[in-house]
Amino acid sequence: MPTGARTMNSTAKQLRTEGNWPPEEGQIISFKSSAGSETTILKEVRWGLVWRDFILEDGRVIPEHRISGCPQPQVWRKINEVTDVEREDCEERLLSMAGAGMDPRKRDQSFWAELNQYLAYTYLRFKQAERKVQDTER
Amino acid sequence: MSRSDEETEEQQVWRVLSEAGLVEIRLDEFAERIRDVKRIVVVHLRELLDFNTGIKERESAAYSLGTLKGLELKVLANTPKPPDPSEM
Repeated sequence: MPTGARTMNSTAKQLRTEGNWPPEEGQIISFKSSAGSETTILKEVRWGLVWRDFILEDGRVIPEHRISGCPQPQVWRKINEVTDVEREDCEERLLSMAGAGMDPRKRDQSFWAELNQYLAYTYLRFKQAERKVQDTER
Repeated sequence: MSRSDEETEEQQVWRVLSEAGLVEIRLDEFAERIRDVKRIVVVHLRELLDFNTGIKERESAAYSLGTLKGLELKVLANTPKPPDPSEM
């Protein structure tokens, strides 16, 4: 497809309302990066343990709240929606990425994204459990 | 009306995670954030042991703690060392 036609098609696709959020794969999306505002093609939207990640065509992983047009308040998963299998799979992937020598301090890469979500999830999970114990003690 | 009554559940989660510095972890703070989360897991694990309940939950918490420890070690191993003053 010629570049001009693709841009026009994508611009039309970009004009979406909050009602049909999140955008579809192949759409042009804008997001905040450390370099400022960027525009690129969306490859996939994937739920993590807590929030949705937007996978870009170049492999970068951007959390939903950094995508332009993300409805507020953002939709989060409830901690008890995450199954044991899902959590264990995530733990296995993280340890395997760490074992393979990947560095989580590479911003917007899959290890960085998955570790962020795992820490957020684990914090919420045990904070919630802590509150339950405190409530029981009262 | 308290602040938490006015907030939706989503806003509350956002606030809790933001206050804990866990929404988007700064690259130089990974080891510290992992330690913070480990601390929460240890507190909960102790409570479970004190009450001698929740064997499955205890196992799962212990496994998460092990994962966090492994990740912490990896992050620390990858942390760039500050320049040696004797070489400057």
